[in-house]
Amino acid sequence: MERKLLEVDNLKKHYPVTAGLFARHVADVKAVDGVSFFITEGETLGLVGESGCGKSSLGRTLLRLEEPTSGQVFYKGRDITAWNKKQLKELRREAQMIFQDPQSSLDPKATIGDSIGEALLIHGVTSEKERLARVEALLQRVGLEPGHATRYPHELSGGQKQRIGIARALAVNPKLIVADEPVSALDVSVQAQILNLMLDLQGELSLAYLFIAHDLAVIGQVSSRIAVMYLGQIVELADRDGLFQRPLHPYTQALLSAVFLPDPHRKRQHIPLAGEVPSPIAPPSGCRFHTRCPRVMKVCRQETPIFQPIDKDHLVACHLYDGK
Amino acid sequence: MRRITEVFGGRRNLLFSGLLLALLFILLLDLFFVHHIFSPFVYFYLCFALVIVFYGIYPLYVSRRLTRYYWDRTKRHHLAVIGLVFIIFLVAVAIFGPFLTQDPTKVDFPNKNLPPVGFSAEQSTYDRTTGQFITRETPGTWLHPLGTDDKGRDMLAMLVSGTRISLQVGLMATLIAIFIGLIMGVVSAYLGGWADNALMRFTDIMMTFPFFLLLVFIVFIFGPSLWFIILAIGLTGWTGTARLVRSESLSLRTRDFIMASKSLGASDRRIVFHHLIPNVLSSVIVIATLSIPGVILAEAALSFIGLGDPTVTSWGLVLQAGQRSLETAWWIAVEPGIMLFLTVLAFNFLGDGVRDAFDPRSQV
Repeated sequence: MERKLLEVDNLKKHYPVTAGLFARHVADVKAVDGVSFFITEGETLGLVGESGCGKSSLGRTLLRLEEPTSGQVFYKGRDITAWNKKQLKELRREAQMIFQDPQSSLDPKATIGDSIGEALLIHGVTSEKERLARVEALLQRVGLEPGHATRYPHELSGGQKQRIGIARALAVNPKLIVADEPVSALDVSVQAQILNLMLDLQGELSLAYLFIAHDLAVIGQVSSRIAVMYLGQIVELADRDGLFQRPLHPYTQALLSAVFLPDPHRKRQHIPLAGEVPSPIAPPSGCRFHTRCPRVMKVCRQETPIFQPIDKDHLVACHLYDGK
Repeated sequence: MRRITEVFGGRRNLLFSGLLLALLFILLLDLFFVHHIFSPFVYFYLCFALVIVFYGIYPLYVSRRLTRYYWDRTKRHHLAVIGLVFIIFLVAVAIFGPFLTQDPTKVDFPNKNLPPVGFSAEQSTYDRTTGQFITRETPGTWLHPLGTDDKGRDMLAMLVSGTRISLQVGLMATLIAIFIGLIMGVVSAYLGGWADNALMRFTDIMMTFPFFLLLVFIVFIFGPSLWFIILAIGLTGWTGTARLVRSESLSLRTRDFIMASKSLGASDRRIVFHHLIPNVLSSVIVIATLSIPGVILAEAALSFIGLGDPTVTSWGLVLQAGQRSLETAWWIAVEPGIMLFLTVLAFNFLGDGVRDAFDPRSQV
């Protein structure tokens, strides 16, 4: 049995909505609403969902970049939701993040060397010489020139900036990287380069990724297991082949039918999804997907489906599979 | 030692604070023991110079690449470059000019109302021997290239003196204002909640405060002094900067690079001093450049209505004196007017260029 690196238990992140002069608390945006999963060492868990389903909030909350509303996150078996600032600094060496927009993820007023070196400085590498040497090594590791250290972000292309984002995350030798849509802002050809780089690094450094994306094709390329998120909750979680070959949840089926796969023999049957994603302030009763589900039943409107295993390693939250 | 350096946020701040303290120490020594070797204003100038060197020139030098980049972008505005050249010229005049020109306060009645070189004007003089007024055509002389005023004071000397006064008021008052504004804005944005509310409502109150009335009040109580005018403009002029800095900081805080810093384990102080302030600073520089002409005009207006410091020869004062003899000696009013006009224009041109260079939205 592989060791669980990170385990999330019923994690919730609600953003308060306030109104009026005295900031009266009127409602909550339930961005993440009871999510549980785990990541083992060196694996990639893909997290897929429409925009606004809470996948970025989940990524940030489980690294405690935002404070969780409730629930627990265990890193190497220890509950990090109760950690103080000093303990969190320890977590920062172990778990890092790569951001979606390379444009805004680098400080425009800092050189590349300073941006990457900041991680080293914070974690105690005070000698300027040593920092520069490590920064240059990291730059080469992600396929850039050591000379890039003195450049500024505006002098680089999107793909180069994303490589720097990766180098910065690697600076502290982490074990886990939360990659929040790391390739969505890039051209397709550059996407492939960055994905390959991430896979190479994973093999070399035995990194675990939580790979967040809205594109199932990209997720399928890198992930060993995939979680599908809808409106703050995980509706299906399976290993990659299980999910692609036998998607159980109607939402997953609809998402997969929209993926373009270059396979001439595959029959495409498009499952259209009607309507919009409901508001996370007042999510639908029962199963949250019932307003758009093509196979909706009476029970779906009233009862919340339980997230349960159907096969080994294949969990789904859907009333279609009750009692099976 | 490293611990101390960290508390101050780097070697530069430590050195700066050290020099500032040394200056204060010498000032106190001068005031109470040695008795006024230099006037207190000399120390004020030195403080000002320290700020400019440590937080203006030094960072420009350290990040030469970035400086060159912004300069290239500013350069695309030809008017901005012209403005900058003119401002550099003004600064040189303000620093060295007074040593080269005549005494701007020296009264010389026989040579009053001389026109500038190349012009001539009719002058009536009282002839004692005949007891009659004689009207004579007098040409300008190279002794007074820009002419003299109605008391025979050299116009060139007065304009040079005025340049020093105007730049002093403009730069120092603006520096005070943006310093307060920067602190208020960043603190407000970073604390949030009720502290943010309190600070911003205070800013609103300051905004509604009639600045001109306050000045009249200060002049009435403390007497007209250039330093009170600088302080008054500085202490009331920060509201716009505070609002701008607050909103910029709020939007910067949601940017990914701040989040990235946080995820690397950076402290709040580090994020504020190394990421927030450097990025807010470009907008602050723009607003500062564009507010300097306003301050210069305000000082001129004050002098013009007689609320300025009567002991210093400022453009506004000359302008006011010239207004009385506009019919006989137009140059007395026109020359400081042209200087004011050109100076304000130069700062506005430069401000526009700098704004386009720094605008984060135009950064690709």
